[in-house]
Amino acid sequence: MTHDIAKDSDIALIEFKGTTLPVLAITLRSLDPKELTSAGSTLFGEGAFFDDDLAVLDLSQVITWPEQVEWSLIIQLLTSHGLKVLGITRANSTLTASAAASGLPSLALSAGRSAKPAPAPKKAIATDPALDKIPASLRKAPAPDVAPVSPDTPEKAEPDETLLDNPGTLVIDRPLRSGQQVYARGGDLVILAAVNPGAEVIADGNIHVYAPLRGRALAGARGNAQARILTTVFAAELVSIAGIYRTFEEGVPAKLANQPVQVRLAQEPVVSPSTGQKSRLEINILRVD
Amino acid sequence: MTRIIVVTSGKGGVGKTTTSASFASGLAMRGFKTAVIDFDVGLRNLDLIMGCERRVVYDLVNVISGEATLNQALIKDKHCENLFVLPASQTRDKDALTEEGVEKVLKDLEHMGFEYVICDSPAGIERGAVMALTFADEAIIVTNPEVSSVRDSDRILGILQAKSKRAQAGGEPVKEHLLVTRYSPKRVEDGEMLSYKDVQEILRVPIIGVIPESESVLHASNQGTPAIHIEQSEVAEAYKDVIARFLGEDAPLRFVSYEKPGLFKRLFGG
Repeated sequence: MTHDIAKDSDIALIEFKGTTLPVLAITLRSLDPKELTSAGSTLFGEGAFFDDDLAVLDLSQVITWPEQVEWSLIIQLLTSHGLKVLGITRANSTLTASAAASGLPSLALSAGRSAKPAPAPKKAIATDPALDKIPASLRKAPAPDVAPVSPDTPEKAEPDETLLDNPGTLVIDRPLRSGQQVYARGGDLVILAAVNPGAEVIADGNIHVYAPLRGRALAGARGNAQARILTTVFAAELVSIAGIYRTFEEGVPAKLANQPVQVRLAQEPVVSPSTGQKSRLEINILRVD
Repeated sequence: MTRIIVVTSGKGGVGKTTTSASFASGLAMRGFKTAVIDFDVGLRNLDLIMGCERRVVYDLVNVISGEATLNQALIKDKHCENLFVLPASQTRDKDALTEEGVEKVLKDLEHMGFEYVICDSPAGIERGAVMALTFADEAIIVTNPEVSSVRDSDRILGILQAKSKRAQAGGEPVKEHLLVTRYSPKRVEDGEMLSYKDVQEILRVPIIGVIPESESVLHASNQGTPAIHIEQSEVAEAYKDVIARFLGEDAPLRFVSYEKPGLFKRLFGG
């Protein structure tokens, strides 16, 4: 029995929305199915290692390739490891044409993420829960001159590929307002104006705020436990280092309020003298001698 | 060259429409040809505050959808020669506001020789509010001295910096002005209310004025008279100061400090 929704109401049957999918970028340095098969079994063993994850093949680092690339065998191999290959990226024109002939489209990766000339495949987009809230437009390498972007705006600046392997520090010099979010991917974040309540600043490295920090600050967003948060006026709603966070429901403790402060992870849990709560976050007043 | 000024706040009930009415009236009283547009489609009340609700025939949405001309929809204000009101629609919903439609209305107002166009934004951060600020050259951020209002103003400032045409074009940004309304110096003194300095400290936007809390605003609204017309009231004086500062004149802040009644006044009831 079919049910005609369109007749019942004004529901649009087709609706368009932009979206971002987590896709693995797999850097292949050989296109010989035999070599790949043995490399694959060393890495993943036999059988499906992945869980039907989407993947694109990054061919920017292929050194040699046979006259006739046997794409179907390569796809078969990757499928056997549990990958769904969408297409190829960053290939030269010969390989692009050859892949296209086998039904593999050439995809433009948003911020070009080839693996560094070294280890295993990298995830194209981190799936760290802390990053899930970051708008797709911000999941790019921040160039030092990228303006703060609220989640409402698409970012216009094109990321500079050369910064990917050497991410710079993102410097923000205007106030961050409620609802605005800034993420320094792969580097430090330096903010020279107030971070207001409801604003969120995130960095894979350290966060420096040379003004009142009244919003949320998450340093070491991809697990860097050495990351720190430094501010000249501490009044945060939440601080987090490598996913270990602390909120201030009763307000910031009086001895820390509006003080210059450093937040970092302690080796041992710190017991708060006032509340008796254990935390691995250590919040200290910065003393400049 | 028409200057487009959006009066916005994020939060509702802080005095946007009161401010739009008084600000537009104040500019018209100074001789500028001014239009004030109600963007609160579905919940219009600028026409009530301006006292022209019985003269509304066509509205902003009629003009945008081509059912009426701008000349038919503009209502001449009963107090000021140079002031015209473009009311919002009571019946349509906010999706009727299109960017192209709003842009055309503003262009047409420019061709008609309007020097200032005041856009009275609805509360919230949805379509109506975004449409009101999209084409703004300047913004008046109306804020009450309490934390939720300050937070919402902060949010709308962020949206202004992201969504306005000026921000998107990457040129000169929208000029922002902070207006603190419903201010009670006594309650600030007693620590019950944020001071205007606290508000400015958080929002970091230049202050254009402080409007004291007053019952006369309610009376004026009920009578359909913009507050700036209430003779000898502090509110009217404060709005006139705002106009002066907006036009680049020097006017120190008034009505912001609380003077305790003296002993004599307390004993004899002044």
